[in-house]
Amino acid sequence: MHGILGTIRKNRWHYAYLFILPILVVFGLFRIYPSIQTLVYSFFDINLVAKTMHGVGLKNFLLLVHDPTFLKAIKNTLTFALYIVVLSTALGLILASLFTSKLRGGAIFKAVYFAPFITSTVAAAVVWTFLYNPRFGLFNSVLEIFGLPTRSWISSSKEALGSIIIFSIWKTVGYNMVILIAGLQNIPDSFYEAGIIDGAGALRRFFSISVPLVAPTLIFVVMYNTILALKVFDQVFVLTAGGPAEATTVVVLQIYKQAFENYRFGYAASMAFVLFVIIIAITIIQYRLSRRWEVSY
Amino acid sequence: MKKALIVLALFLLVPVLFVTAADKKKLTLWYPAGDITATSMPFREGTDPWAQFEADNNVQVDVVAIDYDTMQQKLFTALAGGKAPDIGMIDFSWMGGFIKDGALVAIPAADAKTWMSSVSPDTVAVSDWGGGKMYGYSTWGVDAYALTWNKDMFKAAGLDPNVAPKYWADFRATSKKTAVTDSTGKLTRVGYAMRHTGQPHGIVDKWHWLLVGAGMQLNSDQFALKGGVAKINLPDVRDGLQMAHDMVWVDKSSSLDFPDPRQALLSKIASMQISELVSITVRQPTEAPDLVWGFSAPPSPRAGMDPKVQVAAWNYSVFTQSKEQALALKAVAWFNNKDNDYNQAKKYNSTPRYKENWAREPFASAPSTKSFLDLVKYGTTYPRSLALNGILDAVGAAVPKILHNEATVADALSLAEQQANDAIKALQ
Repeated sequence: MHGILGTIRKNRWHYAYLFILPILVVFGLFRIYPSIQTLVYSFFDINLVAKTMHGVGLKNFLLLVHDPTFLKAIKNTLTFALYIVVLSTALGLILASLFTSKLRGGAIFKAVYFAPFITSTVAAAVVWTFLYNPRFGLFNSVLEIFGLPTRSWISSSKEALGSIIIFSIWKTVGYNMVILIAGLQNIPDSFYEAGIIDGAGALRRFFSISVPLVAPTLIFVVMYNTILALKVFDQVFVLTAGGPAEATTVVVLQIYKQAFENYRFGYAASMAFVLFVIIIAITIIQYRLSRRWEVSY
Repeated sequence: MKKALIVLALFLLVPVLFVTAADKKKLTLWYPAGDITATSMPFREGTDPWAQFEADNNVQVDVVAIDYDTMQQKLFTALAGGKAPDIGMIDFSWMGGFIKDGALVAIPAADAKTWMSSVSPDTVAVSDWGGGKMYGYSTWGVDAYALTWNKDMFKAAGLDPNVAPKYWADFRATSKKTAVTDSTGKLTRVGYAMRHTGQPHGIVDKWHWLLVGAGMQLNSDQFALKGGVAKINLPDVRDGLQMAHDMVWVDKSSSLDFPDPRQALLSKIASMQISELVSITVRQPTEAPDLVWGFSAPPSPRAGMDPKVQVAAWNYSVFTQSKEQALALKAVAWFNNKDNDYNQAKKYNSTPRYKENWAREPFASAPSTKSFLDLVKYGTTYPRSLALNGILDAVGAAVPKILHNEATVADALSLAEQQANDAIKALQ
């Protein structure tokens, strides 16, 4: 008996793996296997209807380099991600700071700002197509009331990407706010009390105490927003379908179009793999940088 | 005791019901939801257009509405998963892609021959996949892309309300004359409403009159499933697209803020638009009952050149994955027979396909019949190329780039030509 218990104690890690085995199987089946399959597909021309595939080597990747629409999609995706990460995180932090302090009706405001996050992206985007209508939309009506020039919004190749960014900030800022509120509430009051005693004003306390100490949470928010932004699809598909004039085409939309409109699954798989590499690379860089701002208190 | 007997009778009846249900065969038909095409009206209304066929053949036909924007993809995904419907009401421009993958059943040669000899030339044009081969029956209400205009607006602008502009120069001048701006100079009504957003296929559909009218060849060989050459970057095409661009940015008689041409005409915020005649015909009585409108062939580049009217159609096709192919073929043949053609075209105030039906009332003496037949004399269809998807994607991407100043006319067309020919070569 003693011997058996000893063996169990010695090989505890076996049991750990046994307990996580179900999730490992599910994760492997639905995440790892499709990812590997996508990588394999990227070296083939595939016809899923005729169930045929033949190897083409690196041809799909070489085509990507010379595909102006894909290159435009990469540029648009990175631009979108940059704006979303910076603006949505900054706005989230500002809102979180406001709601961490005692604000009358704060709970209601928090709920209002968080509501878009739990709304279906597709449903919300459909509503926004009406709001953005250049002739009858709410936004232009409001601009007209204030005597401001109206915009073409999603009907213009110059304004469409910006319009999608505005929608996406509206959609994500609530989530960022909630996570950052949690981060800010973890900062012990004693730091702020010391700051007040030292004569630091509200702004100084924000930049010298709140921001550095909430940095780990902030980094999580940045990484989460980056990954989400690089995978943007729903709102683009509904609001603009990548137009006008490819002004809002993004990588995932191109993957979708190549796979399900042009039936080029191998080519779409190579796009997916490139996106995967971009996301992994950016995430690793962000993770490495984040270690500089680790804090403990 | 009586109750017990009733329960027993019901109990005994249950297996009988199952046997009856099991005997009944089932066909599934997918059609585009919403008002994307007036020809899906029979499925959108309360009455069952399949009732007679179901009764005669002990079959149940399930009609399933599929969102148009993703219908092609959903069909493809269903095919890839081996779960395609038996019958699809599919867009003409999708057929090449499905035929390429062997997904559509060819209509039996004898039936195809009978159809071709019985229907009018515009229907032949959208049914023939080369040498009389057919992969589906085109619907009634063929999609003829016509210039439609608001007669009251023409009159108010001092134009003859019954005469449409014939050539590009007249068309441009008419657009300028009928556009309206408010006191701040903002355009409140366009002379010509142009499509510049959405799927590339839809964009080419709406610009076909200008592109093909100017000599563009989406494929030099109309009936070649593989091969051929796309001739896109041509002088007249460049001139035409430059004109369209200048109508927005120089004349300011059109605008990119009116992206739905049909709706713009029906909402009276456009005096002219060019799209499927059948849609305006079916929608106008309910959506704009007081609209007085006319239709004619779209303008041609100049005197001596014929206009081009795109003729397209939705098709009832049978998928090769159907386990009831023979029954499905019988169903589509029945649905598109002469009597159903007559009854449906009459019911929806549209155009029939059979020559005999054109000779019957109300079509024979309807004032619009002659105008329609005059219109489809200029009919052209998309090439049957299996690379049509890629070609339309290329051209459909070029047009908005020009209209939005994202590329010069020459650059946009040059790239489109290269991409279209790449798509053709990829299938050789």
